[in-house]
Amino acid sequence: MPRSATAARPRLLGAVTAVAALLLGGCAGGPLPATEDKGPADSGSLTWWGWTPDEAPAEAYIKAFHKAYPRIKVTYKKLTIDGYNAALRPALASSVGPDVYAVAPGSGNGPVKQYSVFGVDLAPAVRKELGPGWRSKLASIGVGSLTADGKLAALSAGATYAGSLWIDKDLFDRYGLKAPADYAEWKHVCAVFAAHHVGCFVQGAAQTAFNEDTIQAIADNVRPGVWEKAMAGRVPWTDPTIVKALGLWQRLFKDGIMQSGALGTMQYPDANNAFMSGKYAMVMMGTWYMQYATRAGSTAAISGAGVAHPKPFTQVPIPFPDMAGTGHVGALFGDADFGLAVNRRSKHIAAATTFATWLGTSAAGQQTVADVLNDVPALKAATPDWNAVKLTSPDVQRPALQKLLKDVGRSTEPRFATVSADMLTAIGEASTTVASGTSPAKAAATLQEAAEKDAAARRTH
Amino acid sequence: MTSTMFKARGPRTAHRVVAGGAGVRRRGVLPSGVPWIMPAFVLVVGLIYYAVVETGYLSTLDWDGTYPYPTHVGLSNYRAILHDPIFWKAIWHTAVFFVVTFVAQTFLGFLFASLLHSRIRLARLYKVLVFTPVVLAPATMAPVFRQMFAADGQVNWLLHHIGLGFAAQPWLAQSSTALPVIMFITVWQFTGITFVLYYAAIGQIDPQTLEAARIDGASNVRTLVSIVWPGVRGTTVALAMLGVIGALKTFDVPYLVTVGGPNYSTEFLGTYIYRISLPQAHVGYGAALSVLLLVLALLAALVIAGRARRERGDRRV
Repeated sequence: MPRSATAARPRLLGAVTAVAALLLGGCAGGPLPATEDKGPADSGSLTWWGWTPDEAPAEAYIKAFHKAYPRIKVTYKKLTIDGYNAALRPALASSVGPDVYAVAPGSGNGPVKQYSVFGVDLAPAVRKELGPGWRSKLASIGVGSLTADGKLAALSAGATYAGSLWIDKDLFDRYGLKAPADYAEWKHVCAVFAAHHVGCFVQGAAQTAFNEDTIQAIADNVRPGVWEKAMAGRVPWTDPTIVKALGLWQRLFKDGIMQSGALGTMQYPDANNAFMSGKYAMVMMGTWYMQYATRAGSTAAISGAGVAHPKPFTQVPIPFPDMAGTGHVGALFGDADFGLAVNRRSKHIAAATTFATWLGTSAAGQQTVADVLNDVPALKAATPDWNAVKLTSPDVQRPALQKLLKDVGRSTEPRFATVSADMLTAIGEASTTVASGTSPAKAAATLQEAAEKDAAARRTH
Repeated sequence: MTSTMFKARGPRTAHRVVAGGAGVRRRGVLPSGVPWIMPAFVLVVGLIYYAVVETGYLSTLDWDGTYPYPTHVGLSNYRAILHDPIFWKAIWHTAVFFVVTFVAQTFLGFLFASLLHSRIRLARLYKVLVFTPVVLAPATMAPVFRQMFAADGQVNWLLHHIGLGFAAQPWLAQSSTALPVIMFITVWQFTGITFVLYYAAIGQIDPQTLEAARIDGASNVRTLVSIVWPGVRGTTVALAMLGVIGALKTFDVPYLVTVGGPNYSTEFLGTYIYRISLPQAHVGYGAALSVLLLVLALLAALVIAGRARRERGDRRV
């Protein structure tokens, strides 16, 4: 007997409902699993996601790790700075996300406060590695800023600090110039470079997070510590120091020190490539640029900038010039660069924990970090082995790098750790509007308004 | 004939046709078609409508996208949007973007299609040249345009070398020029689509009508304005609908070339939704913006379709 259409309807409805339920159930995902060691601790295949370090340092870390743990295979995937959060969130919400992922303090990329929910508590593993006094052996900047919801959500590989400029020493030498120490010298240097059709200073002011570095450096030059207090809400953003710093930032544009078209330029890749390809003699970058002082790092970066036959040049850090004429120069501010978190959904939690603790706490792992020069090591005992580091021009670079590392040891000022994403956006907006001609006082008032709104939102939560 | 057609579908259907007449025939067709539409039906209901409903729910939350206990805030995200100057900027940019790109693409697409329907040498090459930008991924082209329109880029180099150095400027770094550059890139990229659709539509115009116009002594311009242009009105309406929806959804070119800046001068709803939802982690607010985008797209499509229907009605009268 043939089935009737009416008889088919309930079955059809049931099938549709079942398929839809399956689909919706799959989309909704399940509760996060309890964290427990899964798999062996000394073997497995891991994926590691991050926006930093570059492939070359990551390969160096993995290569050194394989010497210690040959049965754990680590595959690194470097995502873009701007695309990291977009890729990470759905990956972690699924069951096929990375085993190890990078997070950062405060409002940096992969903010730890937001992504700690997906990670395991790494404190027991560190305690096992370094003993009960483990906190005293690690830089506090890494432990404190990567602790969230009462757990050590990630292990810092090292820290980075901003506030410095980097110069192409070879270009300076070619035109008989010395690194500018104050604003007048900076203008003179730029005039000479312009006369020789060489770009002077480059910054990607369209990627606004980096503008914060420059303005914070200027503010510390005007009066040290005020910017940090403003970020912590202890000083209003309308403080004269901030207003003056914004005014000096504006002068960089008006006086032509900032390259033409800076507001349409990204720090990565535009400004970075422009400096690496020798088009500009100075760039605003921090300690993460130390890796390019090495022959290998410099060659890779120049090649990455599109230069066909890369020739390493002498890259040297210098203190931010004394724009305000106060003599307060050389301020550095930093955070843990990236921390390695272990995904609680990973099928290889034990092996992933082995990798994270090896890189973040072991003597061998941290020595590798120190020698690669991408980060200032998290383990206090680790320092670069200068005999192992192959610099482009050791006589010039080594003293400069040693001074930089000494200076960061004195730094107590955070970079992004205490600023929310909304405030960082507001600072970015203020930086571009001031550069376009808005009065510094007006921009400062806008910042204060944003800070009050941000504080109110935090109180609500 | 009808009987033969349904017999081909199998004995069960044929039986109903014979037994039940026309009404039963309609009922009989439905189940036999269901297996064919099921995959698409499940896909649409399960993914698209689920996503729409889920987005509507998310728009009532204050949520960062990961925290397990989001706060329900009712309609306050929508209220906040109404007082959000960046939202209104994005709407304004969308409107300007739609008008300029639609007019430019329509003019150029219609012009190319008309010219290439005439006897012209190397017509095939021109067709390829006009259409090629359509198949280039914006992600691939964005770095090229960033370089071209940079302060030391090729556009300014060209201006200097043809004696127009006074017009050289940092195109992407100024609020006044960044949006026009984005619109220029869009016109360059998508005129090929407009051209192809007009080319096909012009091919559907009755040749006898064109011949009659020529016999009556109509010039080329008159033929274009009075015969061809009205003849492709349906295509123009469809392009307008696609254009307004495309403008509302614009994301890739402004995000990849200017990141919505400087000073939000190239911010569109798409770029704003991305920025607010991911870097700033206000997923609820971003969802509310997405819902508004959907509503605006539907309204625009309905308005354009309704207007086109009215015009068709007027013409029949």
